[in-house]
Amino acid sequence: MNETKAVATLALFAVGILGGVVAHTFLDRGPAENPYPALPKVDEPRAAHDVVAAVGSDDAQALSRMLDSTMLTDLDTALQPIVDVRTTKFVGAVESEGRLLSAYVVTGKTTEGIDFVVGFVLRVSNDQVVGVN
Amino acid sequence: MVGLRRLIAGSAGTLLVGLFAGFVLASAVGVFIQDSGLFGASGESPIARAYMLGLLQRDPNSIVGIRPNQSIAQRAAELQNADSSRTTASIQPLSLTYIGGASVGIYSVHIYAVGLRTAQGVDQFFPLALTVYGGKVQRSE
Repeated sequence: MNETKAVATLALFAVGILGGVVAHTFLDRGPAENPYPALPKVDEPRAAHDVVAAVGSDDAQALSRMLDSTMLTDLDTALQPIVDVRTTKFVGAVESEGRLLSAYVVTGKTTEGIDFVVGFVLRVSNDQVVGVN
Repeated sequence: MVGLRRLIAGSAGTLLVGLFAGFVLASAVGVFIQDSGLFGASGESPIARAYMLGLLQRDPNSIVGIRPNQSIAQRAAELQNADSSRTTASIQPLSLTYIGGASVGIYSVHIYAVGLRTAQGVDQFFPLALTVYGGKVQRSE
């Protein structure tokens, strides 16, 4: 009798889990349809890769040679509130009429020691980084 | 009679707990699949997409629930700007591309590339990085 009760309870729980999964499928519809055209992805540009490698390895010397003062200020703003970069990740790049956008995600710690994530984009033109967003 | 009532109540409780567990499990698996890009998932957040569409369609009302609270004056000014830009057709969206994103704990970042044509006929191509947490776009730059 007890075994039957236990099996019935487990079966009911399993049915519940299945119901929850089905309910989630109906309620979570994913992103809405994009009515605009999407551009195809391209490979990571070398110049942008070098800049992000310098950020990831905390190499201020190399970074100072690759970006001018305006771009360094923009990069500082883009990385806020992260002060201690732990990881950098290339997430994708797209191109439109010779203008290339190379996107990165950086994880690290804030001044308060909180784990944070920020995204920034390097603008590349003629194999050179020309801007930071 | 009391035994039957207890049986029904117990069964309903087990079923409800199962439903809740299944929902949470499916949600967690969904987030993992989206973030990891498994099974062709882009990792794009529905909130980030809705925000971008509201922005490009100059419809502040559609994104009011998914961005930080603003004062009544800020919201009124935004509606004014949206109305005037719609009537003058000052910008025409050309493309919207989700480049990629990542999550750390409750924070997630989603990066888009936007193509626009201004009223002067100049094509602009710029990125926008959205930081999402707590079900809202908290940062857009």
